[in-house]
Amino acid sequence: MDKGILVLAQNLPEVNYVKQAELLAMSLQATNPNVKISLVTNNNVEFENLFDNIIPVPWNDDAENSDWKIQNRWKLYHASPYTKTIVMDTDMLVLQDISEWWKFLEKYKLFFTSKVYTYRGDIAKTSYYRKVFEVNNLPNLYAGLHYFEKSEEAQDFYHWLELVVQNWQAFYEIFLEGVTRPKHISIDVCASIVSLILGNASNITNSLTDYPSFTHMKKNCQGWVDSSSNWQDRVGFYISRDCNIKIGNYVQTGILHYTEKDFIEKSPVIERYRNLLNV
Amino acid sequence: MKSKGAFLIARNNAQIDYVKQAVFLAKRVKKYLDIPTTVLTDSVDYLKTTYDETVFDRIIPLDYNPQKNERVYFDGALYQKQATFNNRARCQVYDLTPYDETVLLDTDYIVSNNLLKQCFNSQEDFLIYKESKDIAEVRDEQEFKYISDTGVPFYWATCVYFKKTKTNEIFFNLLQHIEEEWDHYRRVYQITSSLFRNDFAFSIAIHIMNGFTKGDFAQEMPGKMLYTTDKDVLEQLEDDKMMFLVEKKNYLGEYTALCTKGQTIHVMNKFSLNRIIDKELSNG
Repeated sequence: MDKGILVLAQNLPEVNYVKQAELLAMSLQATNPNVKISLVTNNNVEFENLFDNIIPVPWNDDAENSDWKIQNRWKLYHASPYTKTIVMDTDMLVLQDISEWWKFLEKYKLFFTSKVYTYRGDIAKTSYYRKVFEVNNLPNLYAGLHYFEKSEEAQDFYHWLELVVQNWQAFYEIFLEGVTRPKHISIDVCASIVSLILGNASNITNSLTDYPSFTHMKKNCQGWVDSSSNWQDRVGFYISRDCNIKIGNYVQTGILHYTEKDFIEKSPVIERYRNLLNV
Repeated sequence: MKSKGAFLIARNNAQIDYVKQAVFLAKRVKKYLDIPTTVLTDSVDYLKTTYDETVFDRIIPLDYNPQKNERVYFDGALYQKQATFNNRARCQVYDLTPYDETVLLDTDYIVSNNLLKQCFNSQEDFLIYKESKDIAEVRDEQEFKYISDTGVPFYWATCVYFKKTKTNEIFFNLLQHIEEEWDHYRRVYQITSSLFRNDFAFSIAIHIMNGFTKGDFAQEMPGKMLYTTDKDVLEQLEDDKMMFLVEKKNYLGEYTALCTKGQTIHVMNKFSLNRIIDKELSNG
């Protein structure tokens, strides 16, 4: 198959990532009806026909006892049924036609988003969350939205990613200064370490382009003075019957990374997409 | 040849003589920008009997209609007065200006160079300041970045350039609507104070013109908006030179002297500005 979106969802007792993936698939169907989407999961899927493929997590579940479910992320390259794949986090919504993004990505074998936006459309200042990247001069990669084409370059990257993910403490010790070293595994940090090892940051990112990217709704990168509350408590979320979305006073486009786990329960977003698509 | 000019609005309240400021600014507009000035005022008789009306190209009368829009005006860090904020006429400027290209100015914007002349060479139809700088450099400038913490970017209605275009007509009509329905809009845009402010109304209107997203309806004026707040004092003014006493951080009532030359500055302390103008007028 030519191209498509790939998502990994592994539920936790308190978070239904499959449900998030279903919502993502609905948003994709609303805005990009011809784009395929596959889901990698071992969990039950309620709305199977939203996906072109439902693929079991390959080679056992390396994250069975983990709260972060990062350990299987390197398998996505091997699991993808597509020649050209955009990998997305489950807690994202696609709010516009992204066909131009595919055209842009054709120039790359591997591409990572390296700058993200606030709901106001400003470049998000993510220092609060990304001190480890700044202090250790890591490439500022966001694995939550990245692209690969089945190729030698991408395969090489993912082989290294497998190695780093499976030995993350050892790599953290080598590449990250002690005080900044996270105590848990992060796929963004692992991917950035791989990029550092391969010296390919300039080949897999593009600082001049505004997109592909996403709106990152983590509260401490919105440019607010008062970031004490979750974003859903600070600004209004509005979704129209035809699923146009506003956050605060801003119409949202592109990809919305809503991040807060209770977003699906707190907002009428699933109901609106189901009504629109007759799902 | 397209006509060009400045447009001022002067509506006095019990404490502040804006007409005096307008007369003073019109002279400076002529000197530094070499363009005529029109004034819209509800004090035409006062203007004509008290000041030299010939500094204006046109004087447009405005009905006297005092508002219930009270605010506190400081005169330096330690002294303050309550007065009416008669600021609801700006949306009429599009219809009233006699010029094809207009620079709309607050009367406390002390033009001291020819930077604004660049507007008239611009390809853009609507220019306004978003970027600004507090010349004291010690105060938090966040309130001039966004109209509220979670809201839209702050634009300064103090100094606006516009051409007569259909789009700008829509903008000014929208501005009028926002003004009329201020209590609704200020809630929708998370503004806690009920005080009507033109800066806020312009900012909201620009956001709407941009389709509720980051857009390019409004382009940046040349340079940056330089300002001092009403906690500072304008102490001296001579041609393009000004000397301010700017408040010291964490030392209430203490000031640092700061001199500028050739800088156009928004002087928010209207009392000290009027004292300086009085000196100028008494010196002829």
